[in-house]
Amino acid sequence: MKLEYAKITMNRRSVLRGASALGVAAALPATFGSQAYAADGNTLRVRSYGDMSTMDPAHSVGVVDEEIHGSVYNKLIQYKPGKEWGWQMDAATMIEQVDPTHIKFALRDDIGFTNGFGSMSAEDVKFSYERIIDDATASPNKPDMGSLSHVEVTGEREGTIVLNAPFAPLWSIALPYITGNIVSKAAVEAAGGRIGTDPVAESGPYLRSNWAPKSKTTLTRNPDWKGDAPAWDNIEILPIDDENTAEIGFEAGEIDFTRVSLGSVERYRAGVPNGGTLIENPSLYYLWVGMNLDHPKLQNKKLRQAIQYAIDVPSILEAAYFGAVEASTGIIAPGLAGNRAKGLIAPEADFAKAAQLLEESGETNVSLTLDVINKTTFTTTAQIIQATLASIGIALEINVLESGAFWESGSNENLQLILNRYSMTPDPYYATSWFTSEQAGIWNWEKFRNDEFDQIHKAAAEETDVAKRAVMYERAQDLMEESGAYRFITHEASPVVHSAGVIPALRPDGLGLYRYFGKT
Amino acid sequence: MTVAATNTPKSQSELGIILKGVCKDPLGLMGLIIVGTIVISALLATWIVPYDPIAMNIKDRMQGPSFAHLLGTDQLGRDTFSRVIMGGRVALKVALPAIFGAMAIGLTLGMIAGYGPKWLDNLLMLFFDTIRSFPTVMFALAVVALVGPSLQTVVIVVMATSIPTYGRVARTQTLTLRNSEFILAERSMGAKMSRILGVHMLPNIIGVLAVLAAMDIPGVIALEAGLSFLGLGVKPPTPSWGALLKDGYALIRQTPWLVIAGGLPIILATLGFTFLGESLRDVVDPKLRKNR
Repeated sequence: MKLEYAKITMNRRSVLRGASALGVAAALPATFGSQAYAADGNTLRVRSYGDMSTMDPAHSVGVVDEEIHGSVYNKLIQYKPGKEWGWQMDAATMIEQVDPTHIKFALRDDIGFTNGFGSMSAEDVKFSYERIIDDATASPNKPDMGSLSHVEVTGEREGTIVLNAPFAPLWSIALPYITGNIVSKAAVEAAGGRIGTDPVAESGPYLRSNWAPKSKTTLTRNPDWKGDAPAWDNIEILPIDDENTAEIGFEAGEIDFTRVSLGSVERYRAGVPNGGTLIENPSLYYLWVGMNLDHPKLQNKKLRQAIQYAIDVPSILEAAYFGAVEASTGIIAPGLAGNRAKGLIAPEADFAKAAQLLEESGETNVSLTLDVINKTTFTTTAQIIQATLASIGIALEINVLESGAFWESGSNENLQLILNRYSMTPDPYYATSWFTSEQAGIWNWEKFRNDEFDQIHKAAAEETDVAKRAVMYERAQDLMEESGAYRFITHEASPVVHSAGVIPALRPDGLGLYRYFGKT
Repeated sequence: MTVAATNTPKSQSELGIILKGVCKDPLGLMGLIIVGTIVISALLATWIVPYDPIAMNIKDRMQGPSFAHLLGTDQLGRDTFSRVIMGGRVALKVALPAIFGAMAIGLTLGMIAGYGPKWLDNLLMLFFDTIRSFPTVMFALAVVALVGPSLQTVVIVVMATSIPTYGRVARTQTLTLRNSEFILAERSMGAKMSRILGVHMLPNIIGVLAVLAAMDIPGVIALEAGLSFLGLGVKPPTPSWGALLKDGYALIRQTPWLVIAGGLPIILATLGFTFLGESLRDVVDPKLRKNR
């Protein structure tokens, strides 16, 4: 048999034709041939917005690390899953505030560290807490420990936490969150004083068995764990930055638990695929428009107030947040001491009042800039603000910055208006700490300086009476708003979905406490 | 390339021949139609758009295509079709000045390098190589981060990074031509350098650069779209294809129309200019013309 070969000409033109055909093919629905793989019955697959960076609590960068640390280490107390902020015992069998600066504790006797580093002792607690505040450790989480002085060891498993001054956030931040993780003194010292990306000794219900960078972190059941047995044999934590991608993964059955985008809430309210459930949680984040009080263009308080009244928060929430979130009254979210029932200025714009204030200010031909980070939510918000300010005659130019440049803005003297969003821990102390006079130009980009505010921030951190603290923080937010430098927008929301076989254990702000996740 | 033996500028009839050649080629014709449509719609954008492209109507946000809104609406209730048309104007406002600016500067410097003394040639080559050593996108991101995003910034960045490409081609062409008989004849008759370069060499170089420019335009449109996709292109609320794509990507689970509306014109513009450039090259290059 004779075979004849046709000559195939390969040139730019044929490549272009081929590329065009491929483009059309790629545009066809991707559902052809797609296949969903059900999650393994003993493995919980959860999505994290980022990859872990360290196994050292002293150098933890936040939630992405804590999601892992919270399952492989123990703390004296842990956050209690539920709708209200609270804590429950973990490694402690007893913990008691004996006076405003002394907290006594006793440890369980059945917790041991892996790799032969023995049982957990009060020395480990002392070492773990004191290395956070030790300057030699250079822990970025040192402020979370507030006024911690030291830990006195009074027995093998007993000790006393000693504070330099009363510090209310100890119970809401320091002990149940990142800095509360207890590591093995012997193991860390054997490792040269620092833990890297591999754990040196673990003690929790799970062990970090594998870490594939940018791909997956696997936790497996700790065979030596003597506490309540966790429900899942394995937990796989998948770093997926994009919520849209995570939602596709969830709907394909690849993920059992993920935060979802606010834009998808309405769709999920109508029904979650595969028998899943949507849980809508408030968030602690706070978004606001700030005005740089040091800028020559913003010296006129009436002008700043005109801007406050001209920004229509409901329009922002509808367009940028799909109507899935509530307006905020300040920097302290609902559920925390100090949250104001209402702000001094209503969320709805009052254009008549804004125009009147602008006229009283005597300012004409006002043109300002608004710096925002390059995310669609924020650029959408900025464009609504631009439109509403235009309605009273203020021209606004939007400066869109990538995140690196944006987060360097604190020292930018030319900064005028800023659309900003800060994260938060469940204590009002954390919120006010960024707006004190000493933070001006660092995190206080509005350069808001108020002696009364500074005093409240200091005093409220030491106040242990919850009701009194609440009043103090409410006053602090009044002062911020009265300055004309802030227009509060929202605390956003934290909607999550989980698959049918999962019983989630969540903080009130929707973050997963994976060690407590159950199974149906 | 075969060097033209005369210094006659391209006549009207020669342009007609080129146009005819492009129209004979199916891909060339398609490119011409696409490019023509984009250019005409950009020029007449003010009269074509059914709505003010920056007028918000939040109640009507994220609608699908309808008779009222041919490509639906975005998250702020703005008419997507109007924003696509105006986005075309932005794309061309970046691409055309940037490419023609780069071509003009590159051509001048390249001809000087090719015709001037050796030391000047070396100096200019060093300058071109230095600029070329910066990756365009990284360079663009750095400049935008430094001076802030704007239409002018994008134009300047593209122009600056494109100059060496045109400069090198112009230099090579000039080196080829400088010892041609008709140039030597002009020199022997005492013609000034400006006359030799402007009247005799330029017409023989410009065609090649024009083809190169046509093929570079889609790259610039894609770069502008890329910067806008990163939120670092033109400032909001100015419509841009990249910004549409960026918003569409963020909202793809809610409304896929924005991604389609932002992506399709980029694809069409890229294909159109590439087809046209390829076809122009075939028509202008005598070697290729002979092989067809």
